[in-house]
Parts: sequence; structure tokens; C-alpha cells
Amino acid sequence: MIRILTGLLIAAALFPASLMAQDGPLRIEITEGVIEPLPFAVPGFVPDTPEAADTARQLTQVIAADLTGTGLFREIPSSAYISQITDFAAPVQYADWKAVNAQALITGAVGVSGGKLTVRFRVYDVFSGAELGNGLQFAGGIDGWRRMAHKVADAVYSRITGEGGYFDSRVVFVSESGPKNDRRKRLAIMDYDGANVQYLTDSSSIVLAPRFSPTGDRVLYTSYESGFPRIYVLDVGNVKRRVLQQTDGTMSFAPRFAPDGRTVLFSLEQGGNTDLYALEIASGRQTRLTNAPSIETAPSFSPDGKRIVFESDRSGSPQLYVMRASGGEANRISFGQGRYGTPVWSPRGDLIAFTKQNKGRFHIGVMRVDGSEERLLTASFLDEGPTWAPNGRVIMFTRETQGEGGRASLYSVDITGRNLKPVRTPDGSSDPSWSPLQN
Amino acid sequence: MALIAVAVFGGAFRSEPLPFEVHEVSVISAQDYAALSTPRPPAREEPDPEPASVPAPEPEPDPEPEPAPEPVLPEPVVEPAEPEAEQDPAPVVAPEPPAIRPVERVAPEPVQTPSEEAQPDVVEQPEVVLDQGADEPREQQQATAPEAAVDRIVTEAEQTDALAPLQSPRPPRVRPERPRPVATPPEPETPAPAPDTSEAVNAALTEALGGGDPVSDAPSGPPLTSGEKDGLRVAVSRCWNVGSLSSDALNTTVVVAVSLTQDGKPIADSIRMTSSSGGNDGSARDAFGAARRAIIRCGSSGFDLPAEKYGQWREIEMTFNPERMRIK
Repeated sequence: MIRILTGLLIAAALFPASLMAQDGPLRIEITEGVIEPLPFAVPGFVPDTPEAADTARQLTQVIAADLTGTGLFREIPSSAYISQITDFAAPVQYADWKAVNAQALITGAVGVSGGKLTVRFRVYDVFSGAELGNGLQFAGGIDGWRRMAHKVADAVYSRITGEGGYFDSRVVFVSESGPKNDRRKRLAIMDYDGANVQYLTDSSSIVLAPRFSPTGDRVLYTSYESGFPRIYVLDVGNVKRRVLQQTDGTMSFAPRFAPDGRTVLFSLEQGGNTDLYALEIASGRQTRLTNAPSIETAPSFSPDGKRIVFESDRSGSPQLYVMRASGGEANRISFGQGRYGTPVWSPRGDLIAFTKQNKGRFHIGVMRVDGSEERLLTASFLDEGPTWAPNGRVIMFTRETQGEGGRASLYSVDITGRNLKPVRTPDGSSDPSWSPLQN
Repeated sequence: MALIAVAVFGGAFRSEPLPFEVHEVSVISAQDYAALSTPRPPAREEPDPEPASVPAPEPEPDPEPEPAPEPVLPEPVVEPAEPEAEQDPAPVVAPEPPAIRPVERVAPEPVQTPSEEAQPDVVEQPEVVLDQGADEPREQQQATAPEAAVDRIVTEAEQTDALAPLQSPRPPRVRPERPRPVATPPEPETPAPAPDTSEAVNAALTEALGGGDPVSDAPSGPPLTSGEKDGLRVAVSRCWNVGSLSSDALNTTVVVAVSLTQDGKPIADSIRMTSSSGGNDGSARDAFGAARRAIIRCGSSGFDLPAEKYGQWREIEMTFNPERMRIK
């Protein structure tokens, strides 16, 4: 009898709970979902006056292009709309937007008065039947309508995804023209999407590796103007420049700002050896950070300014290392096959982007700051020089095609490896550096 | 008996012949066939060109030559296979692992020092002629390490898995037998304990089920089957789009409660987040937004749930765990 009772107790204890009488609500766990662009509708912003109609239409197009270009959103064509937005203040007919499967709805109005542009907008979660955040208004000069559109798109992006946008940002890069054996290079700056290209230098000398300051108002770059590579700093506002570091008989290159904007890291070649140095811009004081017979270059600060990732061939082939910002012992973080270079710390601090060469192919990849979870995002004849978007979710880089007619151009890719696409520029382009979000 | 049975009843089982295909052939006599096959060389008169290791062909009465046995024969071409295996630097792709035996690098026996007699002999020797039956003159060799010596030291950790046996050479012959209950003889003096057993069973089950009053406020009706739950899970999963979620939201698990109407449609106002884990308030809000959209979108026409079990699914708590959907 005891055995029977014991058996029954064990059986009752092991009996699946799901088959027993349910206590409380039905509980299920969802662990699989889908990853697809979120459908949104952005009806043309309503112009307050007839004069604002063109601007309203163009502004709406830029907002839609910004969101669609991320790969995270899909615009529902206006031909599918059941209802139209003719009054910005009118209540939204959610059923009409649900019917066309618009999960997000963006409405807005544009006013132009005395050369001043005003943009108001709202974002709705259609299936919840509620507004995402409150309505917002931007005002500025009529000439800055594109920036205004980017700002609206950033706000929409942030409200839907929960992370910061990157549309109101700029990219400084090297514009390339002419044949491959006589290529002329000059610094250029543009909006993140390739619009508003402006040239910062002429093509009389070779320029390399421009890098934005943390505030986006200055650019570091390397120029062969003196016959030797020298580091210059250029003020983006007035396009004035000056030599930042000059030591006779040396070559300095690969500069990058510290997060505080007051220090610059760079590589200095002296007597056949290349090491990393830190330079205080205000005082000109120079500190040697590495002292090895190998080549140390391509330094990049962590966002908190406490660590530096750089490239070194001290182990026999170019690999990535991390050390304290003050120098000292460095830890190797790349251990995969191939050669690693041009590491760049993510603005979020969680990833390091890099260039990898392996088996005759070039890749742009990311890894954790300890070297784990390496993921290659691209593969081509030549991909190099990654730079991070301000939100740390997108990477821009240089891709060059093969052959005599090979052309360098800019591409961007999501850190998931999806949404690889070219960035349109007037000429060939290379060495991009992404600015922070503009104020 | 069988013959008698066939003789007696054989005719009774006749049936219509099955259809078959007929081909015209010509029949020749044994002499004609021998005449046709005279060019064939005699099998036993000529010396066998094959090496001794090859078994001599047997006198086959079958006139048709059959080349089939050739691949099976132990051909002397086996030797080249060894250097090929040595040239292949990738033992992983080789069909067989390199024959590296775990032996000492240094031969256990020292190499003998050549004797002084091994010096070139300055005395001119008359030329001799070898006998016909004498062995081939062998080149004098130094004493070498035994064949067991190898040129590499292979540690146990470096040995390939292929060297390991696929299964234990000593598998258990039989499954261990379960302990059998010892048969206890019936005890005639034991009273019938039926009432006590049922009480004990009820008590045990009640305790295992959580105890308390069996007439609780639990939903009534039969529970949903696993298939019905899976159907609901799949239906919601189809609309759970995490593509636009931030990395932080993809690290946040939210538990969402929802009430359904009798036709399986979610009541939008009832959707609420009961708890979250793994993120901050902002990421939980974004994760909840995606979960709410999934419930509303895919439940807009009603989830496919059995109406007779409405009491079971009227209130649902869904846990949205994005662990598998994170950026890898």
C-alpha cells in the first residue's frame, strides 16, 4: 500500500502542469517572430499656404526616403490610401489606415512665412489607435528645409524604434576624380544621404583619412602638401586649416579625435618605426603611447575615452589590440583568419567595426570589444575604412571595384548585415567619416 | 506423397498461362560453340603474368570472360597509396587518418656505431661472379630505429577523432534490468484498506495540484490541447515584427495580458503589460508596442480557438521573449 501511495505521489508530481486544470489565465510564450520592414504611411504634409505646397511635397519625400532607406520601414504608396489628410488638426481615421496595414502614420503641416519655414508633425501607432508621443514643431530658414525633413525623420525613427536617429548628420570624405593612375583627391562634405556636396580643399595635393571632431565642427586629415604626410585640422565653418603636427624627418598620419575633442591620436613614423602618439591640441604636448618595433596605427577611442583600439602587426600580421588611453600593455582581440585593420569603436561602445582581408576578399565586420562574436557584414574585391552612424546602427565604408576602370564609392550597411546600399555621390568617393547629429 | 498429390490433383489447378514476352533465339550445339571459341587462348598452358599474390585463374567453364573480379584482387599498386597519403597535408579530408602511432620520438635502441671493419677495403679483391641461385647483393645498412619510431611527437590532444573507435568495443550486452518488486505473499489477515487508499490518493493529488479547495476560480471547461496552444502561438508569431526594435528592446522580455471576445478577437483596451525583464522602461515600452501590434494585427479577424473552451482562453497572458530574435 505504501508503494502504491508513493507511486501516486510521484505520478502526480511529474504530471505535466499543462494537462492539469488551468489556474488563472492561459499562458503562452512567443519566442519566434518576424523581421521585416514596418509599413508606414506619410501622407503629403498639409501646406498652410499655397506658397508652401512645393516645400511641403519635397519635405514629405525626404522624410519618406530617410525612413525607407534604413531598411527598417516600408512606405505604403499613396495610391493605396483610403482616406487623405487634408487637415492636420482633424482626428485620424484609424480604420482607414488599418485597412491598408499602415502600422505607423505620420501627418504634418508646413508653413512658409517671410523666408521662415515651420514644420509640425505627429506620429500615430495605428493599431493601438494612439499617438506616439506628442506633436512636435521645427522652425528655421527656408533654405534648411532638407535639414528640417531629416529632423522630422529622426524624431519619427526614434519614437518607433526607441533609439536615436542619424538622418540629420553629415559625412566628410575624399572625393576622387580622374583615371586610376592619375587620381585627383580633395576633401568634400555632404549630408548623410549624399545631398549638398561641398568641397573643402582643392585637388592640388593628395588628401587622406578625414575624421570629424566629436562636435562636427572640425575635421582632421592627412595631406601630402609638403611632400610628406602631415596632419591638418580644418574648421568646417570657415574652411580654414592649419598643420597640427610637424616634426622634421617624420611622417604623421591616421589621426583621430578623442571624445573630448581636445586630444588627437595619430601614428608617427620615425626612423623606420611607427608608433602611436597622443597630442594635446591646446598645448601641443605630445605623448608616446606605444613603443614597439612593429607598426602601430589606426587608433580609435572608446566613447568614454578610457581605451584605445588600434592596429598592429606585432604578432606577425595586422591584428587588432586594445589598451588603456594612457598606453601600456595591449590585449589582442582579433584571432580569426586573415588580416585586420582600421578598427573604429562604436559610438554606443558595444562594438568595434573593422576591415578584414582574408582569402583574397575584403570584408567589413563588427565584433564585441573583447573580440568575441565577430560578424562579417560585407564581402567584395575591396571594402575598407568603416565609419559609424551617430546611433551606432549603420556603418558607411569605401568599396572599390576591380580593374583599370575600378571606381571607389561609398556604401552603407546595417550592423545586422542587411540593407547594404550605395551612397550616391557626384564623383568617386572614399574614406568616409560620419559626423555626430547636428544641433 | 507429393508426387501422388500432384498426379491426382495437378490437373485441378490448371490456370490460364500468364502473358509473357517472346524473343527469337538460335540454338547451336556444343561442338559448334567449341569451334566458335577456338581462338580463345588456353587458360592453363601459358605462364601466369600476374604476381604470385594474385590467385591463379581457375579453369572457368563459362566461355564469357568476366573482368569483374579484377578490382577485388589485391593488386600490387597498393604501395603508391602510402606516399600519396603523406603528401596530403590535410589529414582531415583524407579518407583514412595518418598512421601515426603514439610512440617515443627517440628510438628505444641506440644506433650502433659502425665497426671499424666498415672502412673501405684497400686490398684489391678478385672479381667474382655470383652464382645463379645466389641472392641479390644487399647494400650494407646501419642499424636504425625500429619501425615503431616516427618523426613527430603527437600528443593525445592532437590525435584526430578518427583514431578513436566509433563505439566501445565492450558495449553493454543487455540493458540493466529494472529492480523487480519482490513478490509478497498475500496476507489473508490484512483487512481491505480501500477507503483509506482513496483518501490518501485524493490527498496526494490535491497536494500535487496545489492544494486548496477543488472548486476554485480556475477557468472551467476542458483545457486547450498542445496543438491549439501552438496554433495560437504561431498566429501571434506571424505578426510579431521585431525588425524595427532597438537593440535594448530586443533584450527585453515583456509579459502581456489580453482579454478576448468569444469570437477570438482581442479587446484592444484590455492589452496591458504585466511585467518586463531585461531592459529599462523605454525598451520595455518599445517591446510592449511591438507585442501589442502583433496581438491586434493577427487577432483582428479572431484567433482560431475552440469556442467550447472559451473559459480557458478568455484571459491570456503572452510572454514575448526575443532571445532568439536578437542580432547575432
